[in-house]
Amino acid sequence: MKYNRILLLTVMLLSLAGLTGGCGFKDIDKRFFVVAIGIDPPAEGAKGYKVTLRLAVPSPKVEPGAAKSRVETIQATTIAEGVRLLKSHVDKELDFGHCKLLLFGEELVKKDFRAPMQWFARRRDIQSVAYVAIGKPDANSILNVEPSSERLPGNAIFLTFGHGGTESSYTLYTYLFDLLRRAGERGLDPILPIMRVENNGYVVTRLGLLDKSKLVTVLNPQETEMFNQIRYEFKKSTVAASFGGQNMVMSVDGISSKTKIVRTNEGYVLRLRLKIKGIFEEAPIGVYDQDWKKLEQTFNAQVEQEAERLLKKVQQAGVDPFGFGLKFRATHAGSEKTWKAWESIYPRLKFDVKANVIIEGSGIIR
Amino acid sequence: MLKRIESLFAESRDLTMHQLQNDEMSIEIAYIESLCDVSKVSDFILVPFTKQQQPFDEIVKVNPVYKPLDDPAKWTDTLLLGFVLIQVKGSIYKLDAARVIRNENPQTMVETVIMGPQIALSEDVIDSINIIRSRYPSPELATEERTVGTTSKTRVLLLYDKRSVDSNVLSMVRKRLERIMIPMITATGQLSRALGDRYTLFPTMIVTERPDRVCNSLQEGKIVLLLQGSMFAIIMPVTFYDFLSAVDDQFDSYWMTRTLLVLRYIAVLLTITLPALYVAIVSYNPELFRVQLTYSIAGSRAGVPYPSFIEVIIMLLMIEALVEASVRLPKYIGSTATTVGGLILGQAAQQAGLVSSIMIIVTSVVAISNFVIPINNMSMAIRFMKYPLIIMAIFFGIAGVTIGLFIYFVYLADLRSFGKPYFRIFSKTPSQSGDIGQVGQG
Amino acid sequence: MNRYFYYCVTIVSMLNLMMFVPYLLIQDRYTGAISSMLLAALIGTTMAFLFTFVMKAFPGKGVPEIFAMYFPKWVTAPLMFFLGCMYFISASIVLNGFAVLINRFLNPDTSSIVVLSLLSLACVYGATRSTLTNIFIVEMGLILNVPLILMILFKSYRNSNLDWDAMLTIAQYWRNPPKLNSYAAAVYLFTGYSGYAIFNRLNPPNFRLRYRWLIPLVCCFIMVTSFFVPIGFHGTEAVASYLYVWSVTADSMTMEYGFLERVVFIFLLLYLNLSLVYTANVWHIAMEFFKSCLPKAKPQIDPERTPLSNWVIACILGLFTVVTSYLLDEKQDLRLATNWLILRVCVEVISVLFLFVLSIGAGGKKQST
Repeated sequence: MKYNRILLLTVMLLSLAGLTGGCGFKDIDKRFFVVAIGIDPPAEGAKGYKVTLRLAVPSPKVEPGAAKSRVETIQATTIAEGVRLLKSHVDKELDFGHCKLLLFGEELVKKDFRAPMQWFARRRDIQSVAYVAIGKPDANSILNVEPSSERLPGNAIFLTFGHGGTESSYTLYTYLFDLLRRAGERGLDPILPIMRVENNGYVVTRLGLLDKSKLVTVLNPQETEMFNQIRYEFKKSTVAASFGGQNMVMSVDGISSKTKIVRTNEGYVLRLRLKIKGIFEEAPIGVYDQDWKKLEQTFNAQVEQEAERLLKKVQQAGVDPFGFGLKFRATHAGSEKTWKAWESIYPRLKFDVKANVIIEGSGIIR
Repeated sequence: MLKRIESLFAESRDLTMHQLQNDEMSIEIAYIESLCDVSKVSDFILVPFTKQQQPFDEIVKVNPVYKPLDDPAKWTDTLLLGFVLIQVKGSIYKLDAARVIRNENPQTMVETVIMGPQIALSEDVIDSINIIRSRYPSPELATEERTVGTTSKTRVLLLYDKRSVDSNVLSMVRKRLERIMIPMITATGQLSRALGDRYTLFPTMIVTERPDRVCNSLQEGKIVLLLQGSMFAIIMPVTFYDFLSAVDDQFDSYWMTRTLLVLRYIAVLLTITLPALYVAIVSYNPELFRVQLTYSIAGSRAGVPYPSFIEVIIMLLMIEALVEASVRLPKYIGSTATTVGGLILGQAAQQAGLVSSIMIIVTSVVAISNFVIPINNMSMAIRFMKYPLIIMAIFFGIAGVTIGLFIYFVYLADLRSFGKPYFRIFSKTPSQSGDIGQVGQG
Repeated sequence: MNRYFYYCVTIVSMLNLMMFVPYLLIQDRYTGAISSMLLAALIGTTMAFLFTFVMKAFPGKGVPEIFAMYFPKWVTAPLMFFLGCMYFISASIVLNGFAVLINRFLNPDTSSIVVLSLLSLACVYGATRSTLTNIFIVEMGLILNVPLILMILFKSYRNSNLDWDAMLTIAQYWRNPPKLNSYAAAVYLFTGYSGYAIFNRLNPPNFRLRYRWLIPLVCCFIMVTSFFVPIGFHGTEAVASYLYVWSVTADSMTMEYGFLERVVFIFLLLYLNLSLVYTANVWHIAMEFFKSCLPKAKPQIDPERTPLSNWVIACILGLFTVVTSYLLDEKQDLRLATNWLILRVCVEVISVLFLFVLSIGAGGKKQST
């Protein structure tokens, strides 16, 4: 009886071992980790895409500047084919599991970004939380940069985006799943940050607004900050106003933005209520003794003006990165008619922006 | 008197009762043999009684070592404390004849605690019973004696608290003891194997040398087996939880001991899974880690020529040899072996490019976590558990490890320690609300 | 022992979060998913309550024994065989789905048949264990896995990328009448009680089920979460394009300061555990049903030796699962699951009502004697 059992166990184990002829055993040091993928339109006249991969070359030492990486570029009719071809250029298996940055070249985005986006979405090994951005002037030149402060290959990219490293109010980040959501959603349009190279490092200050297939317009840094404040209630930002020729800047402590779409006699109006609390960061001496009510009103007026300008710009571009359309659908009866109605409302939508800036203090000096 | 005492006690072989007679009178004496010094009994009772230089009833009245004891309710307690009860002409006296065992008993070596009893059970069962009885002075404590081993005829004592013991378990133990047909039994481990632990992956009986653990178990209604010639007792039935709780847990700071309990469970999980996880993650799913960790592992493995599982097997072989060597070596050389093996070999192996530095950490964690388990026979069982998981990891990666763990859990849930569930939480249920599964058994 | 009943309820609804249920519901998000869910909550809870009444009327008896009390063998045997098949298919769908999931996300280079064989082996082992062991497995499986899963679910609600507008938008479509497909999917989350068709054998005679309000509470929470959270993460449109909705949703969360950054792997491993536990359990139930068809069947809840019939039946079940998955592709799998869910709804209503009638009869009989 006992022997029978042992025999049975052996047979089972052997059959298991037989089943696993072609399993995916591949050691970590036999893999090339792709840090970032860049997709550009091909050189003049050719069809397809120019695919650039930045591969990490791990080294046992971890110190500033020790990060080494390799950049491979290839031109092919499809991305999948390009990646397969690239595999023959390198000595180790490509692994996309740690790919954190997906870059579209600016030229590509101006035409149509949907096909490469679908490729990213369909691949099982590309993370849904990879950052997507637009490379300016093209993706290839951005991937070729090796920032001198990097301890690990690609670390500067991870830290630039996300909240792990720097948190700048000009740097928005878009995850892949967010891009896919916005690209499909009715009433919410995609946004992508624009990445540039400066002094051997990355700069992300501008936001590109896209419709369902291509880049439509670009926001400048101030507008980007405003967008960040309205849409994401981003706290580590500033509001500025000039007061009799003097520039005053406040760092934001708390921010709340509420939007509501209401029907009035003059058609639909979007009400935006911005409430910003903050402390002076840059102001002339003696601001403590001035009348803060007056200062607040000046701030209010200038913030309102700035916000309305941004909303109008977005409206004129014919895109909806704020998700006003979705808001409209969420607050009106669920049917196809609602969406049809919104499509005709949005171009004629009026804005009613009210800001309420509250000064909480003057910093640690008067 | 004797009959009354007999009725008070559970069946215990070491309770000695005599009726003596000389020319003048007859007396009755009763004492527990294992607790008393027999020479004292003979010096103070048998000799003066038989020599008859003075009438015995007068000796008893005059000599202050004999104290009158009137209350029959106190009989059992006095007996259990090592007194001899004497009935002379209708009145009862007690005589202190306790044999107290002190330092000649061994210190605990296998299962040590910082603050707690330091004395271990004795290799002599009578001494062991003395230690246990003096900590567990209850008339309900029953002792049965048997012999096991067809050639060795080793004495085995079965101890239990008559009031709280589970009768099903008791009859099962008795039946299994009778069924043992091995010629020689010299160690407690042999006995526990013969009782049914032979092929199980986890022990279903605790082997311990601590008298306090034994007494606690007796009080919980468990059965204790003592073997002549071995200083370890076997406790049954037990649950998985019992193996991970140390005796300190009952008297050290409450919150800290609960934390330590959690730590022990984590340590068990680590020591079983870590080598397998290393293989699975390094060779199948490197995207599991954070990027930074992945690169540093990839960097440190860059010089290693072997696949990850060879690396794991090299290191585990080394550490197992090291542990084994430190058991075999005399105590004073043992520390040298660990230093040489642990520090020098590990460092050298990594510099020679034989293993990655992460692997060194993995191996040490595995070894250290293994020693956290308080009971040695569980610790030994756990030591083996990591190898099947490594095989699963080699063939199926992280999914294989998870499936392997699931099989372990099923196995644990299926295990019964003398008919009692082995692996479940909240196993103590109030008796009035019926436990699950009590239909068929009751 | 109330808690064991709720383990069974929880594991079924928890598990289906990962499987076809949210997918089917989301396909109908504009066309009646919401009302189907409301209806399912109502009917599912009623069914569960009725069934608990049946359990109370026949303490210590599984469904096969209850039937055997009233009908001759030639009536009960085919019925029990049929019910066993229903249970068996539910677990096999889960296992098959998970093998594909492992193949997609964890081991892309190992074929899903190999993974499925391995999973089946583990589950066959689990299923052959005794009924008592199986309920312990459910307990351990839940206690080890559910806290982390709940943590991830609660974290998902606090995620800044969750778009409440999208969720509200879908909620606006509640007026559409319910559809059979999505009703069948939603009500499945409430059927955890059905495990007690066999596990009722373990209940002591003085068993009283308390806290029954937990059933709708737990199930509704999971139903709402499984439907709305993916919509919140992927919007009203893109969500329908994902085949493995919850895997992708878990991948959309990160733990910035956790040991593992990507939630999806933790999620997949936890769910792998749960589905193994669930399959082992349901196969055990199916096996017990099949065993009750055999002549001289006698229910045993914790035999000392595993009977040979256990091994034979469980191995057949495992083999059947592997062969079926070899023959069917992904699309056929989904169609099978959908059709099975609809069939299951009918069987559930009929069998629960029938048992309820029997139990009323039993109650009357007890009073008269």
